[in-house]
Amino acid sequence: MIASAKRLLDRWRGGGEHAVTVPPMDGALRPNEAIEEAPVLVEAAAPDNLATDGARLMFSSGASVLELFSSGARAATKPFAAFDSPVSALALGPGGSVAAGLERGGIALRGGRHDCLVMEQIGGRALSCVTALLFEGEDTLVVALGSQRNGPDRWRHDLLQRNASGSVWRVTLPGGQATCLADGLAWPCGLAAAPDGGLVVAESWRNRLVGLAPGRRPAPLLTDIPGYPGRLAPRAGDAGHWLAVFAPRSQLVEFVLRERDYRESMMREVDPCFWIAPALSAAQSFLEPMQVGGLKQLGVLKPWAPTRSYGLVIGLDAGHEPAVSFHSRASGQRHGVTSCVEFGGRLLATSKGGGVVVSLPLPQGGVR
Amino acid sequence: MTPIIEMRSVTKEYRGIPAVQDVSFTLAPGEVHALLGENGAGKSTLTKIMAGVVQPTAGEMLVDGKPTAYATPAEALRDGIVMVFQENSLVPSMTVAQNLYLGEEKFFNRLRGLYIAAQQFLQSLNFNVDPWATVATLGAAKKQMVEIARAVRQNAKVIIFDEPTASLTPEEKHHFFALIRRLKARGVSIVFISHALEEALQISDRITILRDGQHVVTDDASSFDRDRIIRAMVGRSLSEELYKRDGAGPRPAGRRVLSVQNLSMGRVVRNNSFTIYSGQITGVFGLIGSGRTETAKIVSGVLKRDFFHGGEVRLGDRPVRYRVPRAAVLDGICYVTEDRKLEGFFETMSIAENLQMGELSSAQSGGFVLRMADMRALAAEWTRKLNIRAVDADPRVIELSGGNQQKVVIAKSLVQKPRVVIFDEPTRGVDVGAIAEIHQLINALADDGLAVIVISSYLPEILNLSDRILVSQRGRIVEEFSPEQATEEKIMYAAVH
Repeated sequence: MIASAKRLLDRWRGGGEHAVTVPPMDGALRPNEAIEEAPVLVEAAAPDNLATDGARLMFSSGASVLELFSSGARAATKPFAAFDSPVSALALGPGGSVAAGLERGGIALRGGRHDCLVMEQIGGRALSCVTALLFEGEDTLVVALGSQRNGPDRWRHDLLQRNASGSVWRVTLPGGQATCLADGLAWPCGLAAAPDGGLVVAESWRNRLVGLAPGRRPAPLLTDIPGYPGRLAPRAGDAGHWLAVFAPRSQLVEFVLRERDYRESMMREVDPCFWIAPALSAAQSFLEPMQVGGLKQLGVLKPWAPTRSYGLVIGLDAGHEPAVSFHSRASGQRHGVTSCVEFGGRLLATSKGGGVVVSLPLPQGGVR
Repeated sequence: MTPIIEMRSVTKEYRGIPAVQDVSFTLAPGEVHALLGENGAGKSTLTKIMAGVVQPTAGEMLVDGKPTAYATPAEALRDGIVMVFQENSLVPSMTVAQNLYLGEEKFFNRLRGLYIAAQQFLQSLNFNVDPWATVATLGAAKKQMVEIARAVRQNAKVIIFDEPTASLTPEEKHHFFALIRRLKARGVSIVFISHALEEALQISDRITILRDGQHVVTDDASSFDRDRIIRAMVGRSLSEELYKRDGAGPRPAGRRVLSVQNLSMGRVVRNNSFTIYSGQITGVFGLIGSGRTETAKIVSGVLKRDFFHGGEVRLGDRPVRYRVPRAAVLDGICYVTEDRKLEGFFETMSIAENLQMGELSSAQSGGFVLRMADMRALAAEWTRKLNIRAVDADPRVIELSGGNQQKVVIAKSLVQKPRVVIFDEPTRGVDVGAIAEIHQLINALADDGLAVIVISSYLPEILNLSDRILVSQRGRIVEEFSPEQATEEKIMYAAVH
């Protein structure tokens, strides 16, 4: 009763869960230009899904999976596989297996023991929105399904519809016996193994990381991330993870997310590229909403409109606390960092919005 | 030339314990004379004798060469000796103009004329204070300005300033020093008590240093440097420990303890956001009026944020909204106030009773008052821990020097076993010896894993203490520096532009 009254009061005055607030980027998240200044390894159309098995490094570009050969600041690519639909998730497993989630639905495996295996269903559900994959040994695959209502390309729809229909599954290959590890997640989009044998899942629309362990409810590990968390990758030394944050939060978007009628009307009547919603890159059109104001701060005239795109990779320590971060700020181009991976003593990241794969130096002395 | 004030072997004892002992002092006409010493050195007592606030136990005072003994400040005022106290003596319910003309009211008063005269007078001093404002609504700096203006208005021959610049911004200090030079040119003698040694070196003609109630040295200001002053004040050099970081470097951030998101309160705090981590000292610098104190007070439940869309404060992962400070104390948030006289302690109560008040609001008390013996044991423990120096075992706080009063305020918060401690101007009006002790204490708290926030207007303090530095301007945090990046110029630029 009191909780209900409090919720009503919060709703009326914009407090509690109805507060239109965004956590600050300070401390370990203090902005820098590291991603913007990083050397470009490869330019590609919408690069995404960087993945490694320790020896090979691959990423997706549209419907292709490319193998990346990196040597210092230079790199070359070689096509590994091509599919009939854009790749929405990628994982490299032991024994040479490569699993690719497809935007049209399904998971296709190439190489290794399960070469040419295709999965269309999981636990009786259609594999319609594969957002992340992770091999746990040669015969076990963990699959994150972002949503039951939208495909991977409709992620902005899913956010604005405020869905929480994602799930995480453990699948045994080749038979496809599946166990649901968690359901009701809000766009799970990153998977990583935890040192305790569990899983770490990036739950994008709730701006948090959760831990999954057998027989337990998802436990928050890191909450209130100032952006939408994407793919996770392990850090060398089994201590912590790298987290790609593919879009920033802003008070404007948070406000829109709390205004159901406005949101529905916007989605019905306005072209999606002009929605007040996060984006992977800054739009170039003058029709971009609200890019008209200015604000003088620290003697520099800055655009007033909150940015809808950003580039951010966060280094998390063993306790899942941010310890270091790399940014491409509002004024930059390398936005929409959807994936990252540590390889060969460097941190590589895909800027899907900027169309590049960049190579970042690891912080000296480790993350902490 | 006959000194305007001459004190010969003056002693003042309280309950048999000398606060000032056998001190001789001269003040020449048109001289600016700085009086320096640690808290408890006897500076305030000596000047209170000059101004007739207290009477000496032994010794003699001559004014214009004539032996004089003032029984009241009014008698000293008749001879043109005015004292501007560290703790202001304004009437809070009256306006600035009414305070300026207090005691000079006519039978019929023309208020409009009074306000216009007050405004012109304040403008002539370059003090940006609204004469129509009620004193209670003014901040500490503006109250100090009104206090100074009142002293100047009384056409004094001798003005004694006790820590006049403690709450002024750099720009206001600049105007204040210009005012002192104008007064000096008019032949007014100034006694200037300050803990800011650079100011004393900059403005004064001569410097007298006291230690433990005794005279140490009087000499021309030009013959002093900072290190010589400190050595004379404390008997050892504190420069190293005060203003240089040790080689350890900044502490790494621990867990996120406090997250302030888009906090707003009227036009004072505007969409302010920052994060505080455990095991770290976060320094917050800003000019007066930049909303630092108000933000800290909202976090600790002293002030309330805007009712509608006032933003969010998250303690760990939990949103919190405190209506009273006790709720914050129960959650482990303590605020050590900048205005200790008004908000920090009960001045007529003893140290033990004050600590008991702090303890009573904490979770461990369970709302029960301590037994007298436990209360005394608590006071003894914290007196020892924080090295609180007093003339007897459990004195009233009003009888302590400024630095020791500040330690009582800190102890009163620390007995609550907090996990977030907010220090607001922790060393304002505190001598260099006590500054070093307070800095050590703050460092020890961070080393113990507490999240510590230090709000300060004094850049060397921010640079010395902080593991990360936030700069506040116009109600919000506008910049963050690491100690390696930070310089005084960069911080000040961020605070002003």
